[in-house]
Amino acid sequence: MASAAATSAPLRLLSSSPLSRPLLSRPHLLILSRPVSFQRLAARSAASPTPSTSSSAPDPSPVDPAQLPPALRDIIALFQSVPDERTRYKQLLAYAARLPPMDPALKSDANRVRGCVSQVWVHAAPEAEAPGCVSFQADSDAQLTKGLAALLVLGLSGAPARDVAMVPVEFIELLGIRQSLSPSRNSGLLNMINLMKLKALEIAAGQEVTGGQEIRQERTETPAVEKEEPQFEAFGGQVHESSEAERPEEEEFEEEPAAVVEGNGSLGGGRKERIRDSLERGLSPVELKIEDISYQHSGHAGVAGSDGETHFNVRVVSKEFEGKSMLKRHRAVYDLLQDELKSGLHALSIDAKTPSEV
Amino acid sequence: IILTVAEHHSAIVPWQFVSQKTGAVLKYVGLTKEEVPDIEQLKGLLSSKTKIVVVHHVSNVLGSMLPIEEVVSCANKVGAKVLVDACQSVPHMPVDVQKLGADFLVASSHKMCGPTGVGFLHGKFEILSSMEPFLGGGEMIADVFEDKSTYAEPPSRFEAGTPAIGEAIGLGVAIDYLSHFGMQRIHEYEKVLGSYLYESLLSVPNVRIYGPAPSASDHRAPLCSFNVENVHPTDIAEILDLQHGIAIRSGHHCAQILHRTLGINASARASLHFYNTKEEVDAFIHGLKATIDFLTSHH
Repeated sequence: MASAAATSAPLRLLSSSPLSRPLLSRPHLLILSRPVSFQRLAARSAASPTPSTSSSAPDPSPVDPAQLPPALRDIIALFQSVPDERTRYKQLLAYAARLPPMDPALKSDANRVRGCVSQVWVHAAPEAEAPGCVSFQADSDAQLTKGLAALLVLGLSGAPARDVAMVPVEFIELLGIRQSLSPSRNSGLLNMINLMKLKALEIAAGQEVTGGQEIRQERTETPAVEKEEPQFEAFGGQVHESSEAERPEEEEFEEEPAAVVEGNGSLGGGRKERIRDSLERGLSPVELKIEDISYQHSGHAGVAGSDGETHFNVRVVSKEFEGKSMLKRHRAVYDLLQDELKSGLHALSIDAKTPSEV
Repeated sequence: IILTVAEHHSAIVPWQFVSQKTGAVLKYVGLTKEEVPDIEQLKGLLSSKTKIVVVHHVSNVLGSMLPIEEVVSCANKVGAKVLVDACQSVPHMPVDVQKLGADFLVASSHKMCGPTGVGFLHGKFEILSSMEPFLGGGEMIADVFEDKSTYAEPPSRFEAGTPAIGEAIGLGVAIDYLSHFGMQRIHEYEKVLGSYLYESLLSVPNVRIYGPAPSASDHRAPLCSFNVENVHPTDIAEILDLQHGIAIRSGHHCAQILHRTLGINASARASLHFYNTKEEVDAFIHGLKATIDFLTSHH
């Protein structure tokens, strides 16, 4: 058999040439009786809880660029106009070079994006000149990641915070950067976008995010505890579990953004907020805990076509329930949430008690 | 519990759990200036209080090999057991468990051309016989009564439930496949190819390779963890993959403590196995140079 050594140059180091012939002396053929086929499961992390009940292959709903903030739209158009992939990467590196430097004081643990092999930080602040708008800063020690961060910063800064919070993450696909689709990069990039959306949401909700994730609620009994970043590793389910573990007693604010960012520009999320408002107004509860568990139900018929925020656990402790039967208590809760029930809220799991019963 | 800073997370984290449960103290052996775990320091740390020494055979980052027999003999003198992480050695060279004398030796299937989700622990029978099961269920019992059970002999004692049969068979096939070539032959080939990789990589400007040079020790694994000045390893790996079709790993390689000890956040790593060729090493070096150009020239 002709040796594969036809073109090999003499080795510099050794007089004998054990490398002139590879160890595997002929091409190795693994013969399979039938080609193995793979079906990609609809990625939960890349989209809102896509209830792919009927289809097995992912069918990304095309993102309407018109829905995106204008600056981001322009950047996407620019990338799409670049003819080849190599130049697109050059473009990404150019963005990295353009990114304004980030204040080192902002490179805190709370601003750190998880799931990245490189170090990435993202900071958001309300836009001074434009109320309701948000501006971002970001940095990374890896150039390609920095380029992606730059893209996001330049594309999303100055936009209304609400809009940013609702940007569909699928827009990544429009960029035509293949590397954004590789698994480890995917989680990092997604986490970056989701962190930016989370921060934008907090700003939109009128609550300032300082260096840490200190979230001050207007009407909570216990002060918010400074905590670490929510873990966005696996989207959907994981977010709820981890924030549940970290803050068992009072409202878990992090869950709301998870519900929001999974929403795809529907009523714009914040359902948990509205539920809270309605119940607080109507029942003056001494204890109120709301949990979005829509992820547990995505994939069955009732949820198809909606975007999360369909199923909630509600625990209410209120004097208003005194003297009322279980049925009457549940009715009371449902009555207060009529609007939500009409607009996609599917089901509530209610735990209604009086203070003396707790 | 004595470990080295160069252990893989899988050889660190479980011992942290043990430490939390039992109050045992973890002691870490550092590196010499040749960037090899300091065996003299290890010997110095051994005392009558040492229960177990956990060491790798070959480092997946540094490429260095540790003198296991020496470690075992010193550990035995103080009555400590030795667990050897041989994940990086078993696939690349003959490993004589009896000769090493370790009390426990572990390796993983997917590092040796086998399927994922399976590996093995080799343990001295007397020790295993004296150990309580950690997982309860079917197969690991002898007799089961309502209030207690008696347990099977090792290894069944530690294999509760229906095992990963397919994977285990796959591992067996992988072992046969490797044995067909012969581990010594694989080792000889990789020694030369590994040196070639190291020397070629050194020729690339601004490259810093971690671990001992091939000439300094008698063994260096066929891998190089490295960094290029002012270029992030992740960028290198991405571009090498996307523009040159070459796969290397970047990150901390499940050895964060080691990276911190070396003073870095992450590194790139090119590793070889018996199926790699000299031409592939050349292609890697060529691609690496082009990648570095690409990443540094756009300014």
